[in-house]
Formats: sequence, structure tokens, C-alpha cells
Amino acid sequence: MRISVGKGSCGIAAGAAEVYDILREALGDTVTVTGCIGMCYLEPIVNVDGDTYVKVDKNAAGEIIKLVNNAENNAKANLIKQEDIALLNAQHRIALENCGVIEPENIDDYIKRDGYTAAKKCITELTPDLIIEQVKISNLGGRGGAGFPTWFKWNAAKNSLTADKKYIICNADEGDPGAFMDRAVIEGDPHAVIEGMLIGAYAIGASEGIVYVRAEYPLAIKRLDIALAQAREKGFLGENLFGSEFCFDIRIKAGAGAFVCGEETALIASLEGERGMPRLKPPFPAQKGYQGSPSNINNVETFANIPWILRNGGAAFSALGTEHSKGTKVFALTGKIAKGGLVEVPMGKTIRDVVYGVGGGIKDGKQFKAVQMGGPSGGCIPYELIDTEIDYKTLAATGAIMGSGGMVVMDESTCMVDMARFFLDFTCKESCGKCTHCRVGNKRLLEILERICAGDGVEGDIERLSELSNEIKDGSLCALGQTAPNPVLTTIRYFKNEYEDHISRKKCTARQCKPLLTFVIEPDKCIGCTLCIKKCPSAAISGELKTAHVIDQEKCIKCGECATVCKKNAITS
Amino acid sequence: MKKIKVEFNAIEVCGFEGQTILEIARENDIDIPSLCHDKRVEMYASCGVCTVEVQGNPRLLRACSTLATDGMKIETDTVRVQRNRKAALELLLSDHKGDCRAPCTQACPAQTDCQGYVGLIANGEYKQALKLIMEEIPLPASIGRVCPHPCEEACRRELVEEPVSIAALKRYVGDMFLENREIIPPVETSGKSVAIIGGGPGGLSAAYFLRQKGYAVTIYDAMPAMGGMLRYGIPEYRLPKELLSLECNLFEQMGVVFKNNIRVGRDITLDKLRKDNDAVIIAVGAWASVPLRCKGEELDGVLGGIDFLRDTNLHSFAGKKIAVVGGGNTAMDACRTAVRLGADKVYNIYRRTVNEMPAEKIEIDEALEEGVIFKNLTNPIEIIGENGKVKAINLQLMELGEPDESGRRAPVPCVGKEELLQVDFVIAAIGQKLNSDGLDGIELTKWKTILADTNTFATNISGVFAIGDAVNDGASIAIKAIGDAKKAAKAVAQFLRGGKINACDDNPQFLVKDEKTAADFADKEKQARGVAFVRPANERKKDFSEIGESFTQEDAVKEANRCLECGCHDYFECKLLKYANRYDVTPQKYAGESHNRATQADSSHPHIKRNPDKCILCGLCVRICEEVVGTGAIGLVGRGFDTEVKPALGQKLEQADCISCGQCVNVCPTGALTESLFCKKQVPLKEVVTQTTCEHCSLGCGIKQTRSGDLILRHLPIDDNSFLCKHGRFPGEPLTEKSTKISPAIEDIRAAKSIIIVEPDKIYEYGAVAIMEANRAARKGAKLTIINDIANLPSDIPEDTVVIKVDDS
Repeated sequence: MRISVGKGSCGIAAGAAEVYDILREALGDTVTVTGCIGMCYLEPIVNVDGDTYVKVDKNAAGEIIKLVNNAENNAKANLIKQEDIALLNAQHRIALENCGVIEPENIDDYIKRDGYTAAKKCITELTPDLIIEQVKISNLGGRGGAGFPTWFKWNAAKNSLTADKKYIICNADEGDPGAFMDRAVIEGDPHAVIEGMLIGAYAIGASEGIVYVRAEYPLAIKRLDIALAQAREKGFLGENLFGSEFCFDIRIKAGAGAFVCGEETALIASLEGERGMPRLKPPFPAQKGYQGSPSNINNVETFANIPWILRNGGAAFSALGTEHSKGTKVFALTGKIAKGGLVEVPMGKTIRDVVYGVGGGIKDGKQFKAVQMGGPSGGCIPYELIDTEIDYKTLAATGAIMGSGGMVVMDESTCMVDMARFFLDFTCKESCGKCTHCRVGNKRLLEILERICAGDGVEGDIERLSELSNEIKDGSLCALGQTAPNPVLTTIRYFKNEYEDHISRKKCTARQCKPLLTFVIEPDKCIGCTLCIKKCPSAAISGELKTAHVIDQEKCIKCGECATVCKKNAITS
Repeated sequence: MKKIKVEFNAIEVCGFEGQTILEIARENDIDIPSLCHDKRVEMYASCGVCTVEVQGNPRLLRACSTLATDGMKIETDTVRVQRNRKAALELLLSDHKGDCRAPCTQACPAQTDCQGYVGLIANGEYKQALKLIMEEIPLPASIGRVCPHPCEEACRRELVEEPVSIAALKRYVGDMFLENREIIPPVETSGKSVAIIGGGPGGLSAAYFLRQKGYAVTIYDAMPAMGGMLRYGIPEYRLPKELLSLECNLFEQMGVVFKNNIRVGRDITLDKLRKDNDAVIIAVGAWASVPLRCKGEELDGVLGGIDFLRDTNLHSFAGKKIAVVGGGNTAMDACRTAVRLGADKVYNIYRRTVNEMPAEKIEIDEALEEGVIFKNLTNPIEIIGENGKVKAINLQLMELGEPDESGRRAPVPCVGKEELLQVDFVIAAIGQKLNSDGLDGIELTKWKTILADTNTFATNISGVFAIGDAVNDGASIAIKAIGDAKKAAKAVAQFLRGGKINACDDNPQFLVKDEKTAADFADKEKQARGVAFVRPANERKKDFSEIGESFTQEDAVKEANRCLECGCHDYFECKLLKYANRYDVTPQKYAGESHNRATQADSSHPHIKRNPDKCILCGLCVRICEEVVGTGAIGLVGRGFDTEVKPALGQKLEQADCISCGQCVNVCPTGALTESLFCKKQVPLKEVVTQTTCEHCSLGCGIKQTRSGDLILRHLPIDDNSFLCKHGRFPGEPLTEKSTKISPAIEDIRAAKSIIIVEPDKIYEYGAVAIMEANRAARKGAKLTIINDIANLPSDIPEDTVVIKVDDS
């Protein structure tokens, strides 16, 4: 009997900790912890010998206890539905193969699933060149967003002979709004990342590994810490690994949460205790990185793919995907999606496949409007392009990017101007302030977007936005600045009419920009219940009982509370 | 190091592997702008103005931190590069606050450096002050008297109590050297000649600037003496003719040829002048009075204002009643002249109230004091005559209605209300216009003024330029004509060199302005505006002697010290300004939220002033302090748009680990970090550099000493690779000539090949100069031996050895 409770951060947020405690108290050691399986909308999830129970609350936990004790129970009510299993089966899990399946705090669980066999094989049987050859065959691209060939970076770092010491760094400074791929992988399968780093370290000749993880991921840090200790105990980290001359260990560096530190040169500066500001490349980290030594930096997901590739061969990986993009990609599906969560699909699937085939379509039966891919650095893809393949090149052609895996789904109630404003606000707050174009330019973009959303947009603002965006892309030092205007440019490209509506007609069709709304009570629908009068925080509504009420536009602060409370839908905006 | 070849704009140059694009460009005199680069510190690449295009690379690259590679093809000036640099500069300017130039200078039509000369006067540097004025105004004593001084209107001291008496200060230094003007030595003539028509302030100034550029200049003037309106339109009591003549001497001394009593069109044609010269400047002024357009204007006794002032002596006013129509300065001049001619009663007829009068307030006040009767809100309807002579003037009473286009309330007749004044003369001083006789072929505006380019002053005829009262908007003030003259002289020079005419190419723009209110100066001690002596009204109204005197020296210095030092102290060195002008930026293009950090300005440090409103976050100060000086007294704080440079933990700079080397000031591209000058009154000035050697210790560091005239301003390291400690950079007193005089002994040390210093323990106390020179010589290759005891002098001292004995005496 094996019972596992999904205790990733998402599961805990949904109440998994309590469920775990109840089950554990009643059923003892048979109850174990696992990571996130990705179906956030079904949390908390409990697996009993292969059967998955979802949305398990205290009562359902009680039913499961009864089930395990062979008593009469109603556990069935929480059994996962076939359609949800189908959505799970529509995925192809490599990086996430163990997530939600194994016990992340137990190295033996990982070892049972062929854990560390790839590392052992690499160190005892393969040369660095042969390892890099396999990675090259796999055509694995950097999963942090840019898709740069991993083998190329490894090879460059390997060939960098200038220093006695080399470093391998794992970038777990995940910062895109709505993205949680890295967190879920570390929480659910920390050893995959450690093994990936171990293999990479051997390939490039690094003796020290560092995981740069944001301090806001305490559970990930805890699990990684436990995993590192266990790996050392088992002899997977430390001196003379697998009986070879190779020595390697990993330490954790908790970052203070600056988005720009996800940029590799800023990350290195931060590791060195300097202000987290990017610098120009070259020199690339492979030549001159942490402490001036050759360093290789890969993203969490990239490392998580490595053990699988070395176990199954690069060709097995490159058998999946498109001509230019191989393997799979993990996405954090959020926003107006019906069944949001963490999913992994082969490259070459379309956005439609992901949104409808894996994500269950749009929430509340609304219309798909666009997806924002790549977070604040990315762009939006409209409905017309929903059949775009998941592929680095194809996505780039739309103006969006693959990105690290954030996929925010938007329906007709999303205002695209407001969306661009949101992301610009984010990048402005996260700009390190070093270079002019990003520091001041993005601020000016934000100011224009803010005035458009506030109904103060003026003719020429669209052109101003486009012109300035292009200069910022051209003139910024690092990827943060260079990509920050992408949400603006793509929304102008695909939703120019919304900008024009805001500027010329002073209308927000998605009805999100409050200053552009006018709340009006339709007299024939209003029954005069006075509910809205009571709820209005600015005393803007007047009227007698059972007579139609009226909103004083001067006093109205456009909070929308009246429209929310009105039972007769008499208030329109 | 391996040699590499790269191409800049298709021109191949050599460099070395490991050099950046910018380094190779600078070595080869290829100009790439940069605000954040200094070769002593690590690459940083923050400002974004050094971008270039490299063939085969889709991105713009930063020249300062991109290593050049063999065969690289670099474009430094493409449209894309220029556009991006411009955007960077405009973005920087959108959050850069301060006055590049002081409001007084900005207000002056000739852009005279008022703050500069006022500051020099405050420091007692009168000669240098005059020199500075004469860079823009060749008639300082005259203009100091007659100018309605827009500079003072703009002066911020007004926000404390009253503006600085800038014009009177100009007069003060103008008068001081009236008879011994330092003449810019006449330049050798270029072989080209320019004819100037009209010897007024505009014509004279144009001659002055052209003569400085080496052109032969002849001024043709219709009147018997030069000076134009200054001589014939301004009464003697305001500008003595003798003084004007003295100022006019300067031009002849420079080699300008004066030809008086020659009227173009009557005595010589414009065509002839064009044929005989390479260029012509028309500066004929506006000498025709605008008629009153009322009945009776043809009567004997109706005079034009300008005509009256020109021919004052032709009329006998004793015991007569005079009506002067008009509210401007010419009307006031006419009124007060009439008073001095013994008129019984002088009326001023003006259709609005005294508040709307365009004349200067002081002129109105003094006219009142002298007994002029102001008939405000009246307008002449008819001049009534008897036997063809003026007998009376009938006035329509007026009242003020709605504001008109000029913003002034328009006068409206009070129907049926009239007033009859018995008068003997009516002087119409309501305006002046051009008399275009003889200017054949010159295109005029619809206001019948000469149509001239507002930038280059070129007319429709090639090689003919026109300035001053005769052009475009018509009659204005003398300083405007002088300002025109300087720009036109530049354009004429460009024309004569055969290049593109664009007089403004080196005219600095004033990029940013600071908005200040009285609250900003609340802590300033009030100090009454200095006024020079003016003779009592009942005395002065009896004669034409000058109404007032110049400042005394004590008063002038005191008055000059009232200056608030508004203009940026980095004006002459500011790179941001330089590049902004070069890239023709629109400073307001990206206007948006800007920081107001005036309250964080830090003047705690005895030598270094921080003005965070001007910081562009290039990071040079932070990096030089940390990487070169090794101190780290300042750092970057905060992030994004709100990033700022300041000492750690909110300290003042003085409390930080600052060692006062001033390197941060040296590298700051703007006025965000400036140093205190040696002089008492801080003033931005163009500097000349001399070299000297620091005497503080035996290291003998080289010093670049900057000065303006005799005023020593700063000590700077000798070059970018040098360093001065606080004793060299900020000594209490500057090194003077006396202290740096080289003794013969020092000459010997400098020439020596071998030097022995005895008793090094005493080095610091004695003979620092000698030992410092010995050190210098050693750095240049002389053999330097130091021994402790004179008894140990080596027996085999080579020839040409200098032994420096340091003793206690």
C-alpha cells in the first residue's frame, strides 16, 4: 500500500498539508509526500495505490481512511474523472516524469526510477565529448526561454582552458508573473536537477555547482537542501565520484528576488555579492563567468531533461518535436484557462492543442482571445494564430517568444492595453536601472500606456509607443530591456483597434479600464431594491425604494461594486 | 598583441586584439560619443549613446564595450545609429533637471553671459568681465546705459526681493576701461571684404565680429557720425555722445573703415556695394516715424518722435506746450527732451493706462519726477491748427475693454467724452518703420520690413544679409540688433568660405530649464538691489548732462554678489549638452515623470557639490571611486527609474569615506558633481589651462591649473591617468605664479642626470620643491640616490650630479 499526497506549494495552498496530517495520523508511514503532478485545479490530490483522488478535503480524507481500512466509504466521489485523466495523458512528460509521482525528500524513490544511473554511466563510461555529443544529438535548447543549444554552451565551457576552476550554475531565479515550472520541478523532483548538473559538471570539468534560487521558494530550497544532503550521503556528490577522480559538489544561493537576476550576467554579479546588474556579452560566462572563471549556466528545466537524455539517448529526445525544436516543453497554464496547471507537451503541438487539448479550454465557456507567452519579455498570440506550433522559430515569428513556459490565457474580458500596461509596470519595477533605454524608455512607455488606460490617450500615442519600443529594443543592454516592449508591440500588432478605441472613442471594449467606463442604471430593469445604494462607497447612487435609482457620475468612482451586487443586471457600463 | 584591421565607415584602420571598438575609434580620431566610458574603469555600457552598427550583426552594438575583431566592418553614423543615440539623449534629458544657462543669459537676445560677467565682477575681475561682455557686445558702456535689460526681467533674484542690476554692472566695467579698451589684435585680412550699410549698434557689431574673423569691413552711414539710433535716437542725458564716440573708436582701431554722410540709394547703389564687396549686410534701422493718421497731421508743429530726437536743436520749445503721443521709450525720450528744451508743459498722450505702457518703468517714473503730465486713456482725434500751425489737440477719452491679441486690455472710446488740450507742438512717437528707399530688389515682408532668414539673416539676394530694426518683426531694442549681428557675421563668414550657411551650428541650445518659486529661495537673506547715484529731478531736468552715475567699485562688487548663480556650473564641460546639440535633440520629446531631488542636493562636503537632479546614472563616479581610487564613498542605490547615486546609508558625502581626490568630479559628464572653485563667487567660466607642480609634498604631482584671466579657478590632475590628493586638488589657496617660480637650482636639478638626496628624514619638512623636482627628474630617467648621512657621500660622484642637502637651518 502506498499513499501519496501532492505537497507542492500549490497543493499546500489548497490544503494538502492538513489532508496529509490527517492521513498520516490515521495511516502512518504508508502515507508519503510527493510533488505537484501539475493539475493545480484538482488540488489537493491524493494517490492511493495508483488511484487518484482529487479535491480532497477533510471529509474526503476521512473517506480515504475508511477506504484504506476497508470500511464502507464514499471515496469514489473524489476519484479523478476520466476526462481529466485524458488531459493528463495528452501530455508527454520528460522533465516532469517524476513530478507528483516520487517522494522528493527520499533519494531512494528517485534511485528506484533509474535515478543517478545516467550520471554513473557518464562518469564511469563516457568522456565529456561523448556526453556533449549526446546532448548535441538531442538538440536540447535552453529552456530558460531563448532556446540556445545546450551542447554549444557546454562545449564552450569545456574548451575554456584558462582557469583551474570552473562552475556550473543552475538558474532557478524564476520570475515571470504566472510561471512556476522551475519551482514545481525542484519541489517535485530535485534529484533530476542535481543529476543534470552533475552530468553537466563532468562534461565541462566543473568542480563546483551553484543553484541560484529565489528566496521566495522556501519549499524548493528545503527540498533541494535535503536532496543535496542525501546525494552527498550516497556518494553522488563530493570527492571521487563513482570511484573516479571527479570531484563535485553543489551549494544553494538564495537570491533576493530581483527579476533581472535571471539574466545570466546579472545572476553572476549577484552571486559575487555585487549589485545585480547585467553586463555586456562577450565575454560570455563560458569564457569569464563567476569569479572570472568559465561558468556554465542552465535553467532548471534544461538540467531536468539531461538525465532522461543520457539514459535514453539524444536521438530519443530529438525524435520528439519539430525540425528546429526538439523534445518537450513545460508550460505553466494560467489565466482564463479551465484547467490550469503545469503541463508538458512535445514541441510541435499547437497552442490550440495546449489550451483545448490539455488545458480544457477557456473558463466559464468564454471566448479565447489570446495567450501571452514568455511573460513580460514575450508577446501575445491572438486567436487567428491559435494553430501556431510550439516551436522556437515559429513562435518568434508571431512577435511572441517561447519563453520559460509561462502561458497566460486571456478571454474577451481581458483588455489588451491594460495587459501591456501590466507587463510594462512589471518590467519597470524590475529594471535594474543601469542603461538609459530600459531605465527611462520603459518608464515612458508605461506612462503612455497608463494615460491610455486612464482615458487620457492622445492621437499619436500608438506611433509614439511603436517608435520608442523599437529604440528600446535596439538600445537596451540586456534581454530584459530588449524584450520589455514586446507585449506592447504585439498587442499593437494584433489588437490595434483596442488601442484606437481607448484613445479616440474613449472606450475599453473589455470593460477593464475603469476610468473609461460609465456605470448607468437601466430604469426599466431596476426594481428599486436600494442594494446598490447601500453598497456604493462614494454615495453616488440615489433613489427611493421601488423607484429606479440613478448614479451621479460626478461622484461615481467607477469601482463597479453596484454592478456586482445588482441582482437584476440593471447596471451596465 | 596581435594587430587587427577594422573598417570604420569603409575606411580601414589598425588596432590590436583586445581593444574595444571605441578605443580604436578614438585612437584614429573617429568620433563616437560616449557618456559613461572611461578607460581607467571596467566596461559598463550604461548610457547607450555609443551605439554603432557592425556588418553582419542585426543588433546595434555598444562601441565602448564591444571588442573589435579582425575584419570587422563598423558604421558609426547610419540613420539607425543616429536615431538611437538621439533617443538615448532625449530619454536622459527627460529626467535631467537644471538650467544649462542662467535665466538672464537665456533672456538676452544676444545671449550675453550675464552670470559670467556678474560673477567676475563679484570676484573683482573687472577686465575679464569686460572681455566676456565684449564677446557679445562691442559697445558695453553704451548698451549698459540704454538697454531695457530683458536679463533683469528674467533675473531670479526677483524671487528673493529684486533683480540684480545687471545692466548697471555692465556699464560699470564698460566705463572702467572706456579709454583703454583691450583691443583684439586686428587679424590679417582674408582678402575678402564686406560692406555694411548703417553704423548703428547692429552694423557696428557686425563689423566687429567680421573684423575679428579677418574680413575687411567698411560701414556706410547716411549720418555724419556713427552710432545710429544710439547717437540720434537716444537723448544725450541717457547716453552722452562723447562716450559713444569713445566706444566707436574701437572699431576704427580694429581696422573697420567708416564712411559717413553716404546714403545708399542716393550716394551709392546697393548694386555697386555688391559688386565691390564679397558680401553686404543691411543694418539701416527703422528711421521713419509712423504717422498718427488723424486729422491735422500735416500742420506745422507736428513732428515725428524719431525726427524730433534726431534734430533736437531745430526747434525752440521754450515756454511752449508739447503733446507727445505714444507710450514707449521713444515717447519718454521725447517727453524728457522737451522738458529739457524748456517747454512749459509736456503732456504724454497714451490710450491705455500706465500699467500697459511699453516704456521701461524707470523711464516713466523719472519722466513723472521731471514734471511730464501723463494723460493716460486718451487718444488724439484731431490736431487743430491756426494759420497752418498747431494750436490744440482734441483727445478722445478711452477706457479699457476686453484683452486683445497682445493680452493687453484693449482701449475703447468713451463715446461723447472728449478733451481739448492747447498745445504748440505734437510729437508722434507711436512707432518706427523702415525707409526702404535704395534697397532695390530686396524682398520685403507684408509689414514692409526686409524679409530675412531668422537664423542666418540672409535675404532673397545671395550675399546680402539684413539685421536689426529693418528686418522681419521690425523695430526692437539695440541688443537684439547686436545679437542678430553676431549670428549674421557667422553666416556671412560661412558664405564667404563657400560652405553651407547655417549660422547656428555652434550656437549652444539651452536644453533644460528649472522651474523655481520664491519658496526655493526662502532661506536667502534679503539684500536691497543696488542703485547707482541719480541726480535729483529738478536739477537734471534743466540740462542734458547724464542723469546718473556709474556704480562705485564697492557697490558694484556688492551688487554682483547678489547673483544667485543659477546657470549650471558645468556648462562649458557638459558632455550631455554637447551631444544633445550635436544630435539636434528635442529635450521635451519624452517628457514624463521626472525626479525632483533638489532637497537632496548635498553641499556638506567642503569641496564637492552633488546635484542629483542632474545625474544621468552613467555610474562613472561610482566606478572611479571604487575601482581606481579604491574608496567606494558613493554607490548606486535603488533600482529602475528611481536608481540614484549616493553615499551609503543616507550619509552626506562628507561623512562618507571620501578622500577628496575629486576624481568623481573629473569624470562626471554633467553638472551632477562639481567642485568649489578657488574664487569666492562661484561662476561657470570658459577656462584656459596652465601647468604647474604641486608643492605640498615631495611627490611633486603635476597640476593643470585653470583660470579665467587672472582668476585661478581649479586644480586638476595633469591628465586622465594622473591623480591628485586633496592637498593638490583642493588646497586652501591656489598655487600662484610667485610660488611656482623656478629657481636656478631647480633648473640644475631638472637637467641633472644623477641626483643625491641627503637626510631623507627631513624631506617632508625642508626643501619640498627641490626634492619634488628630484623625484620628477628621477621619473624621467635621472639616477636618484638617497643617503642618510652626509659623511656617506659616495667618493665617485659622477659629473653633472646635483647633491641636495636637507638641513635644519
